[in-house]
Amino acid sequence: MNLDARRNVILAFIVFVGIIYTFRLFYMQVIDDTWTLRAQEIAEKRKEVFPPRGVIFDRNGRKIVTNRPYYNLMMVEDSIQNLDTMAFAKLIGWTKEEVRERFKEIVRGEGMYYNKITGKRTSNYQSIRAYPFLKELTLEEISSIAPHLSNFKGFHEEATSARNYPFQSGANILGYLSEVTREEIEEDHFYKPGNNIGRAGIERFYENELRGIKGIKYIVTSALNNAIESYADGKYDTVARQADPLKMGMDMVLQAYGEKLMQHKKGCIVAIEPKSGEILSMVSAPSYDPNLLVGRRNISKNYPKLAKDPNLPLFPRPLQAEYPPGSIFKLVQSLIGMQEGVINANTGFPCDKSMVGCHNHPSARNIAEAIKFSCNPYYYQAVRRIIQQNVKKSAFADAEYGLNKWYKYIRSFGLGKELDADVTGQRPGLIPNSAFYDKWYGHHTWAFSTIRSISIGQGEVKLTPIQMANIVAIIANKGWYYTPHFVKSIGYRGPLPQFRKKHWTMIDRRHFDPVIEGMRLVVNEDGGTGKQARMNDIIVCGKTGTVQNPHGEDHSVFFAFAPMNNPKIAIAVFVENAGWGGSWAAPIAQLMIEKYLKRKVTDKDKEKRMMEAHIAFKNVD
Amino acid sequence: MRKQESLTNNLDWPLFSVFMVMLVLGLTTVYSVAYNEDAPNLFSFSEKYGKQLMWMLVSLFLGLMVFLIDSDIYRRFAVPIYLSTLVLLVVVLFMPAVHGAHAWLGVGSLGIQPAEFAKISTSLLLAKYIGGLTVKQQTTGTVMTASSILLIPMVLIMLQPDAGTFVVFTSFLFVMYREGLTFDPIILSFVNSIPGVRYKETWVGSHFIPILVVVVFLSIITLLLDQVTMNLNLFSYHFELSGSSSVVFFMGIFYILAWLFMTRFSTKRERSRMMVVLSLGFVLASLISIGVDSGFSSLRPHQKDRIELFLGMREDPNGKDYNRNRAMAAVGSGGFLGKGYREASVSSVRSNHVPESETDFIFCPFAEEWGFVGILILFALYIFMLVRIVMIAERQRSSFNRIYAYCVAMVLFYHFAINIGMNIGFAPVIGIPLPFFSYGGSSMMSFCMMMFILLKLDAQRKDVLH
Repeated sequence: MNLDARRNVILAFIVFVGIIYTFRLFYMQVIDDTWTLRAQEIAEKRKEVFPPRGVIFDRNGRKIVTNRPYYNLMMVEDSIQNLDTMAFAKLIGWTKEEVRERFKEIVRGEGMYYNKITGKRTSNYQSIRAYPFLKELTLEEISSIAPHLSNFKGFHEEATSARNYPFQSGANILGYLSEVTREEIEEDHFYKPGNNIGRAGIERFYENELRGIKGIKYIVTSALNNAIESYADGKYDTVARQADPLKMGMDMVLQAYGEKLMQHKKGCIVAIEPKSGEILSMVSAPSYDPNLLVGRRNISKNYPKLAKDPNLPLFPRPLQAEYPPGSIFKLVQSLIGMQEGVINANTGFPCDKSMVGCHNHPSARNIAEAIKFSCNPYYYQAVRRIIQQNVKKSAFADAEYGLNKWYKYIRSFGLGKELDADVTGQRPGLIPNSAFYDKWYGHHTWAFSTIRSISIGQGEVKLTPIQMANIVAIIANKGWYYTPHFVKSIGYRGPLPQFRKKHWTMIDRRHFDPVIEGMRLVVNEDGGTGKQARMNDIIVCGKTGTVQNPHGEDHSVFFAFAPMNNPKIAIAVFVENAGWGGSWAAPIAQLMIEKYLKRKVTDKDKEKRMMEAHIAFKNVD
Repeated sequence: MRKQESLTNNLDWPLFSVFMVMLVLGLTTVYSVAYNEDAPNLFSFSEKYGKQLMWMLVSLFLGLMVFLIDSDIYRRFAVPIYLSTLVLLVVVLFMPAVHGAHAWLGVGSLGIQPAEFAKISTSLLLAKYIGGLTVKQQTTGTVMTASSILLIPMVLIMLQPDAGTFVVFTSFLFVMYREGLTFDPIILSFVNSIPGVRYKETWVGSHFIPILVVVVFLSIITLLLDQVTMNLNLFSYHFELSGSSSVVFFMGIFYILAWLFMTRFSTKRERSRMMVVLSLGFVLASLISIGVDSGFSSLRPHQKDRIELFLGMREDPNGKDYNRNRAMAAVGSGGFLGKGYREASVSSVRSNHVPESETDFIFCPFAEEWGFVGILILFALYIFMLVRIVMIAERQRSSFNRIYAYCVAMVLFYHFAINIGMNIGFAPVIGIPLPFFSYGGSSMMSFCMMMFILLKLDAQRKDVLH
């Protein structure tokens, strides 16, 4: 047997393996790119970078919504070693059981994955990944925890940002953020679990304008999913861009002042700049600090409290409270009557209390006086002329004809429908037309006498405060309006297109003068119902209203604009259950006007009285 | 007559140089893979590269000692060295388990793995024992003794358990094959017990390596076919074949064809002998196939998993096949020129996608950083080293030296083939280090000692008369 030949067998074997391996590696490394792709999949992550949300300024350039750093306490289960649960619980101020429960909660929160092929259910949770153990810690909170984290392997902190509202006002306008739902993620792939989305107010309406453009970063990651370095020195990365700031028409100082005036009361204030339609202030009382609803912890703590509060702080009164408009409707009725030619500026009607109640005053000799006295019988007679124009033979058909004509006028004031404002959740109010009454009473079974209460803004008619404030703005503008809106400019691009379009009512400009004169008399002449709103150097035009409330004390209402010849502010004030309009709503309106136009208020006593009053307010603690 | 003017006298410079180059390459790879920004100094002994450098210096010192001592002691003290290693292998079984194996003697990073050193002592004793035999002297007793020298440490290592080193010990079968050791005495005592059979030798006994290759090949085929169920319709009979039955079926067809072929084209005398070989071959192969099949189905699930994953019958990239999948991704993503030194994005310790990338999977970062070009150089070095050792073996006057050199060559070859095979999907994942590259004190010292003893034996080859 030749054993020396076996040397060659062994040498051949060695060389053979070397050659085979060389070919295999040539294939794996040079020809086949499967493994290169696999390596990218494993180690190179496409990471989306979310920019901080856009900031918001008020009309005077004050930063009213900003971002501030927050911290999450992250944990990686596989990195946790010999966790001293007791000490850890003590560090974060929890009990041992709460810590254990939190671990379970994180796993549960990830949900299950159903494998269609094997039919097995597995948890989406991965013990090598980082999950937030505690969310949204403030700098103070994290700085008491972070120094001790070296004793607890597997925990680390991570910076994030959250909304901050430097003024503790405007919660009802600004809205709040909360975590996106799974449905929202499926609908819009911009979002990732854990992201926040605008849930109400400006934050919601301008979500797309505020969220900015997310960047994409390609990074090399470790098996623990930690970023190690950027891929190809960031050659393929795109930069995240923060959204342009929003500039609001709101005056934050005025807003805060309004909220202060309305504290311990229920109701609302809406102030609009007539010539632009910008909302200067929109108070919904009672209000709350918007910072109460920043972050998940705050929301889960504070939201139920706010929701349970019997004063309904979460109810957006200016948008959703539908009141019968009361006396402000008389202004609109005057305008329609004049435009229809059924009355003119000097038409007088006796104050005939047989038809409807009125307070004691001399009969109105013209429209201005009718407004000044807020004479109910006057408007009965005036509106009857609008509705019953004696065009048709049948009184019923005539009323149908008249009402529909009236309806068209009313609609041109932006009533009976939602205003196209930059806010969600408005109510349309209600303006009845013939179809409405046909449904209610039956076709041709009703006439003016049936529906007469609409002439003084009672009965079926319902308006929201923002609509009413808009009526004031229309009168101040003498016949036109821009849709009320909050944001006057998105970056430098101006407002949304719908706010650049002037809406004209069907009333000629000349008909407004007697009405405005009447409003001047209301405030500035003795015997007027709104003398509480009088100012020495500025002519305020106003109209009181008392909204009948079947559930209790009437609501006190006041509408005004000022100054008379160059209106800068149109305002509607509602104080619920405060009785007569002149008593509470008028002084509050006056203070608001003064604050806005002069930046300071002279009558400190009045201010103090208003701020300290508790009206139909239920105390809660 | 001894002429020892200097330490480097008669040193085989080519082998020594390649050996040193590999040590340097190994250290640079460990430095790259375990790089820590906070301690970039190579001499930071808190880091793995610092420790590896320390082990390397210790190994070089041991190498110096080897060169100062006369090489005769290895032959003379082969038995005590072997026995003391066995003692250590027994002692280690009573040590606390690290990662589920009782492999470590000592504490922490200063522990040693006796199994690594068992390779040297087994080589020495095997060299001494087989070197003292002639082909004529082979009896049942001598074959049993030679096998026992292998089997005793193998059993002890399997008890740890350390499947990797266990497999490496089978490399000594190649050495036995080279030395003409034959299992004939054992086989013949069985075969000749059949009445009427009188064989002087069997081909099987001495050609166990080719047979082993055939057995492995058959087993793999059987297991691969295990997944496939074949439906056959023969003469209106329906057969469902799977695994071994289909292998037997195909071999049966081959057997019939070969039979027909032979009856036509061979002489009568040849025919009867070839018939016996063919029939015996068919029966044995069928038995192997059936044995593998039933053996496989009696395995425990996790063992089945391993085999199935290795053979690519199943994929589980994020589960049981995690290591190999990540390793292959790292190697494959290296491309032609590699990603550059310290740019291993998948296999660095920091990114941690490939577990054990500084020890058993150190080939990954090397392949990822240096690409195919680097691989070519590495392979060239390894093949050169192995061929050079075989050449050195063949030039020895003493059979002890020759056998020892072959042992070194085959152990290194096994480590090379299996370790790199793990990274490219050609070998199952069994944890064995890549010589001179993998981080670890025991493997570093044992491989260096092996090489230094070889170099010393070679340097003194002319002193030896027998």
